Amino acid sequence: MVRVKSRYLLCEINVSDRRDLLKLDDRAVAGSVKAAVARTHGDYGAALCSIRFCVKYLNAHTGIVFLRFHKGCYKLLWSALPFITSIECRGQIIPCFLNCLHVGGTIRTCQKFLIRYNTRQLHQMLPKYKNKEEKRKIQEAILSCSLTGGGNKALEDELESEEEDDE
Amino acid sequence: MSAAKAKMREKKMRNQPASVQYTSSDVESRAENGGEGDDVRVTGGQSDAHPSWKKQQTPPVRHGWVRGHHNGDGGYDTEMPNHITAGAFARARAAEVSAMLKAATELTCSSHVFRALPKHMRRRAMSHNTKRLPRRLRNMANRMREKSLQAGLKKKKELVKSKSRKARRRHGNLLLEFNRRQRKNIWLETHIWHAKRFHMVKKWGYCLGVRPTYKCYRPCYRAMSSHCLLQDLSYYCCIELKGEEDKLLAALTQLTCKEAGPTFAAAMFLSGARQGSVTVYRAGQYPSDPLGPVTFLWRPQTPGLTPRQLWIWAHPALKQDLLPELQSVCQCSEAMAPPVEPEVSRAEADPAPQAEPNPDNELKAGAKRKRCCKDAGEPPAKRILGDGTRLPTSPVTWRSSSTGIVINDLTMEIVRYRLIGPQSHSVLAETLEAATVCDELKSSPFWWPEHCKDRSNMKLHQQQTDVFNVLKGIYSSGELPPGTVLGLTVDDPRLTLPRQKVKAAPCVNQDQVGDEEKRNQLMLKGVPLQCCQSFLWEQSVRENVTDNKISEQEMNRMRSELLVPGSRLGPGPQQGRVPVLLVHQPGKQVGDELGSWGSGWDLLLPKGWGMAFWVPLVYRGVRVAGLHMSLKHSQDKAAPHFPHDYPDCPAGSRFQEEQEAEFLETFRRRPPAKRTNYIKHGCLAPFRCPWQQLAEEWELLATDGGAERKGDGQTQKARKSHEVMEEVTSQQTVAAASPPSFTVLRNRKSLRLLSSWCRPLTCRGQRRGRGAAVALPLSDSAVTSFHAAHKMSVVWVRLTLLSKGKPEAHAMVCAPTAEDLKLFGKSPENCGPQEPPHKDHYKSRINHKKKSSKTATPSQVSDDPTASTDPHSPSDLILGLWPDPLPSVASHCSRVTLGWVTQGDFSLSVGRGEALGFVSVSGLLHTLLRQPPELRGTLLLRNPTSLHYRFVRLNIDV
Repeated sequence: MVRVKSRYLLCEINVSDRRDLLKLDDRAVAGSVKAAVARTHGDYGAALCSIRFCVKYLNAHTGIVFLRFHKGCYKLLWSALPFITSIECRGQIIPCFLNCLHVGGTIRTCQKFLIRYNTRQLHQMLPKYKNKEEKRKIQEAILSCSLTGGGNKALEDELESEEEDDE
Repeated sequence: MSAAKAKMREKKMRNQPASVQYTSSDVESRAENGGEGDDVRVTGGQSDAHPSWKKQQTPPVRHGWVRGHHNGDGGYDTEMPNHITAGAFARARAAEVSAMLKAATELTCSSHVFRALPKHMRRRAMSHNTKRLPRRLRNMANRMREKSLQAGLKKKKELVKSKSRKARRRHGNLLLEFNRRQRKNIWLETHIWHAKRFHMVKKWGYCLGVRPTYKCYRPCYRAMSSHCLLQDLSYYCCIELKGEEDKLLAALTQLTCKEAGPTFAAAMFLSGARQGSVTVYRAGQYPSDPLGPVTFLWRPQTPGLTPRQLWIWAHPALKQDLLPELQSVCQCSEAMAPPVEPEVSRAEADPAPQAEPNPDNELKAGAKRKRCCKDAGEPPAKRILGDGTRLPTSPVTWRSSSTGIVINDLTMEIVRYRLIGPQSHSVLAETLEAATVCDELKSSPFWWPEHCKDRSNMKLHQQQTDVFNVLKGIYSSGELPPGTVLGLTVDDPRLTLPRQKVKAAPCVNQDQVGDEEKRNQLMLKGVPLQCCQSFLWEQSVRENVTDNKISEQEMNRMRSELLVPGSRLGPGPQQGRVPVLLVHQPGKQVGDELGSWGSGWDLLLPKGWGMAFWVPLVYRGVRVAGLHMSLKHSQDKAAPHFPHDYPDCPAGSRFQEEQEAEFLETFRRRPPAKRTNYIKHGCLAPFRCPWQQLAEEWELLATDGGAERKGDGQTQKARKSHEVMEEVTSQQTVAAASPPSFTVLRNRKSLRLLSSWCRPLTCRGQRRGRGAAVALPLSDSAVTSFHAAHKMSVVWVRLTLLSKGKPEAHAMVCAPTAEDLKLFGKSPENCGPQEPPHKDHYKSRINHKKKSSKTATPSQVSDDPTASTDPHSPSDLILGLWPDPLPSVASHCSRVTLGWVTQGDFSLSVGRGEALGFVSVSGLLHTLLRQPPELRGTLLLRNPTSLHYRFVRLNIDV
């Protein structure tokens, strides 16, 4: 297929204080990435970073972020990510660093990886907890992270909604 | 982004997870309130993702997993522990996983199941044969397929299955279809002929041709001025009045007045030798409340018959006003039930589909079916002939018990063709041939042989034939006395139909001494009185002729049975003889130049014979024109055209409203930036002419200005008048009294006087033209007395442009200032002054309205004279048009407006722009008094879309 190709970086934002995570937003993350690239690669880097770069997804609870780069220059830009030591957000400086977990060609592969990664984490957590209450919660969480009814049901929903649209 | 695009995108993105983050206020409130706020702001453009997340949650949790987190953990507080809680951590991960799962596994694609399949599993024709799909997708695909099929069916259901084209075009079915289509709007007899060649419109309850589909503007003009132009005027309504002469006249004099020209009672018309025309007013209301112009024709007096017969021809737009008025003046209130015979025929004619659904009839051969129809006493073609829209039971005849007058509505009973042009008589002479006498002794159903038995009838016929033969020899139709009538009985013109189109030429070669004498007699005295008689006046004869018309098919059969193929059919006894009336139509009667331009003949036929005469006429090389050309014809004649130029008549005002709506519609169809801004052009009413307002304003101006006649110049006066108008308009709005409505000046004496005043004096101080002897000199006292008599009047004028320029409808007629006249006097080639562009104060309001809902502040529009008095709501403002009520129309521009043009165009006959319109009498007098005598009657004309004034010469033709 002929299309504009990109690379999606699935990164994890690690902060020292968990409460700071909630203050993040996508604009701040994008700004800090751009600043880091400009610092390490100069004007050339900053210009590259302005092509098709965007933050596709940010989860303020888990600190997961999807970054999209142009395919031709993602390595250069990626190399600047370790230099991010803090993100300035709403006047506060949050010390943090980005940990790249996965590089994908589509957003879908990143999503798939994230599913696998998170479930593995949860599974790893489960035997470590001795507290009954906490263990029950983790089990609940593991059980909840699967789509009920499968794809068919979702499709049917879609069809129904389409029919509603028609009317 | 367009709506459709946004919708597509939403559909595509609805399964994608949105970013999860808090707005700043949330975070702060969280910090302050100790985690009370539980709101989540979902960014990323797809709010739709939010509910889809919710589905994954346990029911009690309302706001997604964040809320759950919050609950399970006891709140995100400032005192949130620094360490990781397993539950919260796990819940956050789990929620994310499920969101991602949904995004990754579910179909985000817009329509197809197949895209869920990887490429290597796709197969050809999968959408057609769902068995090629993997089983898990089959259900879905089936459902979608059904759905698409149903959608297709829904569209197909709307189409009504019609018969095949062959069946539809079969003669009988075609007629049924035609009859069905005639029920709403009346078709003329030449409708099919016209519909193939003309743009048709539905107007006044008829289907009429406007203009041919081919280009023929100039050819039509040439035909009018040098050969012959043909029009079907059968849509004109004929109303027949029968009764004693004195009673009829007594009733009809209420409708007219001698001042406006000869009336019904004029001796020339009363004898029946001439056709007259008159403007009809409501009973006793002259000079206000006119109804419109009519033409009328008295039947010549026959020795045996005392009751007189009168035909009044009126435009269909006028008929609905005229008929009740006639009924009231004649006291004809008793509606007579239509006679039985026509009722039957009409009932058979109109709902023919119901009358003949008999399948046996359909199966019979065409000729046979025709014949059996003929036995029933009906012409075979059921397309008839008369008014198809009228209910068969609605009355057409009214009788008065007191006066004995009978009114008969002969709408569509008589076909009327108009031939315009100097050669129309030669076209007629070539087409028509006086009926051959047949002397059969046995009685026959046809009327002609019966008539032939009467010696006096034959004598009359001989006389008429002689006159008709003399008529061939004259040079131009305009040479005859206007309105001459000639009755005649002619053979079926289809018998002499030429094989190819020929151009009728005048036959002036056979000159004999006796003919010369006769011709002069005819040109000077018109047709002798006894020759004006025609059997067309007799209803029984008309019906007989209509019923006994040989059909086209029969005619062709007879032609094919001729011994020598291609030779002409002889007129046998069964061939119809048709009584016709030829009525001379006067051309241009007013004005000095181009006398009797556009004269011609009207051909009156009994109904049913329309096409039989139409095609032979067309084969004589005439041009055929529609409504458009009749407008141009009257424009070149400088005569008012009925619904257009009668703004004081009810039909005229109706027409004006329709026209305004139409113009406004086309105006609004353009994008606002591409519209003409009429406010900037200083044009108050580009789509209509507010005559009433103009007349009222000028009346006030004239009365107020009478004291200060000595005013220096027009500009001062204009300014003053503007102020006066301000007061006036405000007063009027307060008082709201209804002043007398304006009238059109039709008093011939006054017109003649006014006309002489408008002419410029020649250098010797002599007036040119006919009115020189009678005219009073233009003076203050004369003007005052004249003005007193015609305060609220407007007058019909002809304006000739002195330089280039093409006037348009609704152009303004303005009075030039003294400086303009001085400039004009120096160089008559001068193009004329310019109007300074006006400011559009409403534009800002419209813009304001667009920007915000608040209305414009009064300070912005303070210099707008009307804004303070009547604040218009911005909603009914149209960019570029003045909102109602208009400010003073007379003194809105730098030159005072006197009137407007109703028709204007480049006139091919004069070779220059010519405009016809009305100007206010008071305004005109006012202006004339101030003009130097050698430049009297010089005015300015400005098109609504232009700022340029052009000099025009004013003529009032009497």
